[in-house]
Amino acid sequence: MPTRTATVGSASGLHARPAKIFVEAAAKAPVKVTIRVGDRKPVPAKSMLSVLALGAKQGTEVVLEAEGDGADEALDSLAELLATDLDAGHV
Amino acid sequence: MSELLDRRAVRLGEKTDGRDGAIRRCGEVLVEIGAAEPGYIDAMLAREQSISTYVGEGVAIPHGTLAGKDLVKRDALAVLRFPETVDWDGEPVTVCVAIAAKGDGHVELLAALAEVLLDENQARELREATDPDTVIRLLGSIQEEVEQ
Repeated sequence: MPTRTATVGSASGLHARPAKIFVEAAAKAPVKVTIRVGDRKPVPAKSMLSVLALGAKQGTEVVLEAEGDGADEALDSLAELLATDLDAGHV
Repeated sequence: MSELLDRRAVRLGEKTDGRDGAIRRCGEVLVEIGAAEPGYIDAMLAREQSISTYVGEGVAIPHGTLAGKDLVKRDALAVLRFPETVDWDGEPVTVCVAIAAKGDGHVELLAALAEVLLDENQARELREATDPDTVIRLLGSIQEEVEQ
């Protein structure tokens, strides 16, 4: 299964706004994407509550997985989004 | 040490005319319990305009912008329940868990709240709560997790 590992780049972790931006992008992907931290259970990347419950901080490594047509492209862009500091430029 | 969720900050019979009105009420309660300066209310409204704080299960988590952190006097939560539900950009919201947080440490707090809401029964109990004790029991675990 196509997999990507990304390190959370947002300065204050996957808190409300960065999580929402990520979840909205995942919901638009043509394939079902899951996200997990370490050996914990993969959860749907488009579920805001599931993503918040990961408690991922800046520097936390997360694993994204998806299967089907367009999975690689979707994972590439989501992994890039996670690695970006989504807090930067916001006051 | 003061509690993260003060009983005085649990308001279960709120009424409002819409999303912004609900956010103002949340901010007023945070100001009233001494957790934030009045200017924090505008920071909460600004934050909501940049991206919705709706998280699911009929719950929104209004909080200030990063710039609004200076207006926070102490970390605190307020729980406001709107039995008639509020139209939150198309999502029906019954409960607002308003957050005043000084530092960056609210990832743990949000994770703990999300765990509660991922449990269907606990989420329903929170939406239907008419007794502050129910809310404090459901969200008390948040306090413990944040203090660890």
